[in-house]
Amino acid sequence: MQHRSKLTRWKERGSLRFPFFLLMKGVDLIRTERSRRTLAFYLMVSPWVVVFAFFGLYPLFYGLYLSFTNFIGFNIDRLRLVGLQNYKNVFSDTDAIYSLGRTIYIAIVYVPIGTAVGLLLALLLNRSIRGMGIYRTIFYLPSIVPLVSVGLMFRFLYADKDGIINTILKFFHLPALNWLGYDYATLSLVIMLVWGAGGGILINLAGLKGISRDYYEASSIDGASSFQKFFRITLPLMTPVIFFNLIMGFIGALQMYIQPILLTGTRLLDPPIRPNYFYAVHAFQQVFAFQRFAYGMALLWIMFVVILLLTILIFTTSRYWVHYETDQEG
Amino acid sequence: MKKKGYLLLGLIMAVGLTACGNNKSGSETNSPVKEGNESQQASPSDKGGKDADPIVVRFNINNDEISTEQIKQFEDDNPGIKIQREDTDATKLAAQLATGEAPDIIRISGVNDTPSYVIRGIAMDLTPFIQKSSIIREDDLGPATNVFRFDGKVQGQGPIYGIPKDWSPDYTVWYNKKLFEAAGVPIPDASQPMTWKELFELSKKLTITEGDTIKQFGLGILGKSEADLPWLMTYLLSKGVTLSSSDFSSIDYDKPEVKEGLGLWVDAVKANVGPNQINQDKAAWGGEIFLTDRAAMMLSGYWFSGLLRNDEHTKTHLDDFGMLPAPIAEGGKRVSPTGSATGAIINKATKHPEETWKVYEWYFGGKLAEERAKGGWGVPAMKHLVEMLPQTTEFDKQAFKVLQGELNYSNDVLEVNPYLLNGDALLKKHLTPVYFGKSMLDEAMKQLNKDASTLLKEGMSAAQK
Repeated sequence: MQHRSKLTRWKERGSLRFPFFLLMKGVDLIRTERSRRTLAFYLMVSPWVVVFAFFGLYPLFYGLYLSFTNFIGFNIDRLRLVGLQNYKNVFSDTDAIYSLGRTIYIAIVYVPIGTAVGLLLALLLNRSIRGMGIYRTIFYLPSIVPLVSVGLMFRFLYADKDGIINTILKFFHLPALNWLGYDYATLSLVIMLVWGAGGGILINLAGLKGISRDYYEASSIDGASSFQKFFRITLPLMTPVIFFNLIMGFIGALQMYIQPILLTGTRLLDPPIRPNYFYAVHAFQQVFAFQRFAYGMALLWIMFVVILLLTILIFTTSRYWVHYETDQEG
Repeated sequence: MKKKGYLLLGLIMAVGLTACGNNKSGSETNSPVKEGNESQQASPSDKGGKDADPIVVRFNINNDEISTEQIKQFEDDNPGIKIQREDTDATKLAAQLATGEAPDIIRISGVNDTPSYVIRGIAMDLTPFIQKSSIIREDDLGPATNVFRFDGKVQGQGPIYGIPKDWSPDYTVWYNKKLFEAAGVPIPDASQPMTWKELFELSKKLTITEGDTIKQFGLGILGKSEADLPWLMTYLLSKGVTLSSSDFSSIDYDKPEVKEGLGLWVDAVKANVGPNQINQDKAAWGGEIFLTDRAAMMLSGYWFSGLLRNDEHTKTHLDDFGMLPAPIAEGGKRVSPTGSATGAIINKATKHPEETWKVYEWYFGGKLAEERAKGGWGVPAMKHLVEMLPQTTEFDKQAFKVLQGELNYSNDVLEVNPYLLNGDALLKKHLTPVYFGKSMLDEAMKQLNKDASTLLKEGMSAAQK
């Protein structure tokens, strides 16, 4: 209380003296060992805190503020607050609702498949056979190829009736498909995404390596089959890793933006074909193609809420299917 | 302890900020050149010790439209000015405009962008500069400059906000004689325009398929062979139909003439007359297939003759190519407008208008304009340069003759609603499901009206002072 009143007194005496007061308090604080440690901690985190505050928090909340204005790119000097109008517009924007539906659809289709493929590959690569390092490199390779290259590569694979995939189909007397057309565009995108599912191999392998061999040896003695070992030991003990992959996968899928554009467009502002017109693409289009900055911000804040809700939902369900060894022991 | 911690954090951040501030001011003081967006105090007209520092004029233009040698020559002749060329990038420019960081000279499409840049207060009125200039004279400016005029209500009237680099009546048709022969189709008469319907019918006849494979396309255009907004407005100009109300507050795509014009394109796309989303041909634009003898016709302006003269594959047999007048709408009047007229405006926020104008005048007038005219890459903005267009070979003569005829019909300006930014993207978005048979034109036009109406409302509301 005494400290607070001293602070108030310093403030009252004049602004010039206040920084000096802060400096003196600082000097006061570093006199003890604990204070020195605190100072060291704050000094070390301060670059990150400053950068995060200015380049993370500030734009984030400035974007939130803009979402309540009529900003369309050129009227920053005469912004008008429009209340919740931009948020209301989202719910009457058929493209926003459509793209949100397609985004949730692709997330529901791709994320479980991608997670399962990642786990399956990790199981295969967890065996002790010759040349395993080479196999691991090969399967992990797609995740380090730049997205732009992946997009271009798949565009050529899928391209017109003389594209590589259609040439193979024709070789087997199967009809050529319009892979990037209306009917198959989403399937083509899912295939491209699953091709890169090896990105989860590292974390899955780490999870598998963390499972004690004792469980498998004990189950072998009890006569468990490979399937039983997988479903009774591996899968339950991998659920924390699967849970993590699911959360990250869903967040990534809901924010998906560049992949569908790369498949069919040549410029960032080229909208992808309708079935692959996702929510983040719609937001980007509104901001940069139509310069509806305020509306774009409202779209993105709604996306933030949707992601938050879905994440909470997955977290809530996790208590029923995620098994932590530490909890079990506790 | 917590309180002390917060206090310390505040102190550290304050120190950090002070350090950042010092650093910034230090770098500004030591900066060798002044940026175009610096404060007014940095102007060369200032009296002080910085007079020797050159002014940097940021010029938004593509790499292939200005050479480093040309820039160097300008800088040698004008030691007080440096040109910083910046690539055109619509996304980046949108962000720069929103944050007040846009270049001093901004490359735009005169037809599509001028009214919107004027209404948004970005374009500077160049009329006073032109009136004082001995290089660019107002009475020498050709009809395409009118697309850079806007009086707040009518495009084509009022102050001049820009000058085209060069321009073309953009809906003329180029043909490849050999591919017409391959399809057994006679070349149309170059003295009379076809109707658009005739052009699309001709394109279908010229499209040759073998099984699933398209061996020869009938028609290429500047992008995928699908409808775009400038084409629609050209069609409507011929029909004498407008879409926007006089105050731009509303727009109506749900008109029979719109559906008639777009219906021609929907049929053409379904007939695969050119690369499109259905056939997924890898060509990014029609030029790719026309220059490689895969398309019999190309819908493009006079500037395309420059490409034909310079392309490695076509320049050896130019006599195989020729130009036809721009088609007209069925029952419509003859028009041959420019669909773009690429040029530039000067950013009203530039801190160095005189130096920026000097760069502008140098690029859009004088020697560089003459060089562009001699290359035949487009019709010069200034009338006295038109005679410099190539007229040596038979190919040159044929194209020049057709062009002369077209120039008589190039005075009309395409209708553009300044509050509807990127109406082209909006149109294409709604047409795609129609091409794939997933929607009907009626439904697409209703949706287009709804979207356009929202954009107009927001645009007009934001423009109110």
